[in-house]
Amino acid sequence: MSTIVAANVSDGTVSIPTTYVTNGSAKAWVNFNGEGTIAIRQSLNASSLTDNGTGNYNVTLSSALQSDEYSIVSGSTDNLTNGSDMCTAAPLTSSSCRVIGFYTDNAGARDILYSCAAIHGDLA
Amino acid sequence: MTHLWDRLAEAKSRLKPIQSKYRVLFEDPSQPDAPAAVLVPDPNWMAAALAGGILPPIETYLRDRDVPDGQPKEHPYAEPIGPMTEEQAIEYLIQKDISPAVWRDYAGNRCILRIVPVELIPSDRSFRNAWRVNQDTEMAA
Repeated sequence: MSTIVAANVSDGTVSIPTTYVTNGSAKAWVNFNGEGTIAIRQSLNASSLTDNGTGNYNVTLSSALQSDEYSIVSGSTDNLTNGSDMCTAAPLTSSSCRVIGFYTDNAGARDILYSCAAIHGDLA
Repeated sequence: MTHLWDRLAEAKSRLKPIQSKYRVLFEDPSQPDAPAAVLVPDPNWMAAALAGGILPPIETYLRDRDVPDGQPKEHPYAEPIGPMTEEQAIEYLIQKDISPAVWRDYAGNRCILRIVPVELIPSDRSFRNAWRVNQDTEMAA
C-alpha cells in the first residue's frame, strides 16, 4: 500500500490542510436494525453489536480510539415515512460505545428499526 | 506495518460482507438481574476474519485491555493473522468483545454463554428484558 504525503489538498480553487481530512473523517460508523432479528446493515471499523435489552445496544470497534474522549453522532427512525423515535449514543471505552433508543413522547426505551452512529476522534 | 484501520478500510472496498449464522448469548455475572445479551458479529469484520491477513492476533487485544488510554496500543500495528473459519472467528470475537469475567473467570455452575444459530434467537422481542440463557442440557446424564 502506497502513501501520498501532502500538507494540503485542493480542488483547484479551494485548498485546505490535509489534517482537516485525516482528523475530520469518521473513524467508525454503523447502521443497524434494532428490531426483530438484530443485525448490522453496514459499517466501518465495527467488530460487533451487542444487544443488551430493549433499545439498548453496544457497538464495539475493531481498531480502538486513543481514549474514550471521542465524539459520536447518532440518529434513528422507526418509520421512514413518519419517524417518531430517537436514539442517543455515548462512549463507554476507547473501543466501544452505547446506543439507546427511546420514544420521543415518554422517553421509554424501545427498539429502533433504523439506528446509526458515526464516531470522530483519534485512532490509537 | 500498515495500521489496522487502513487494512479494514481497504478490505471493506474489496470483500463482500458476510452475515454470520451464529449469535453469542451470554449473561454478565456482575449484573445478575440484567437480561441476557446477544453478541451480533459485524458482516465486514466477519469477511475480514475469513479472508485473513487483516485482523491482529487476539492476544494483542487481550494485552491492550491493560494499557491505559493515551498509551500506545499493540493491536493496530501487530502482524495480521491468516484466515479463520467462521467458528474460529466467533471464538475470536468472544475473547475480544465480551468481558473475560464471562468467558474466562466465571466459576459458577450456571451456563452463562452459548453460541447458537441465529434462528434460535427469538425475533419477537415483546419480553426482551426477561431473556435468560436456557439452562436445559441436550443430553441426560
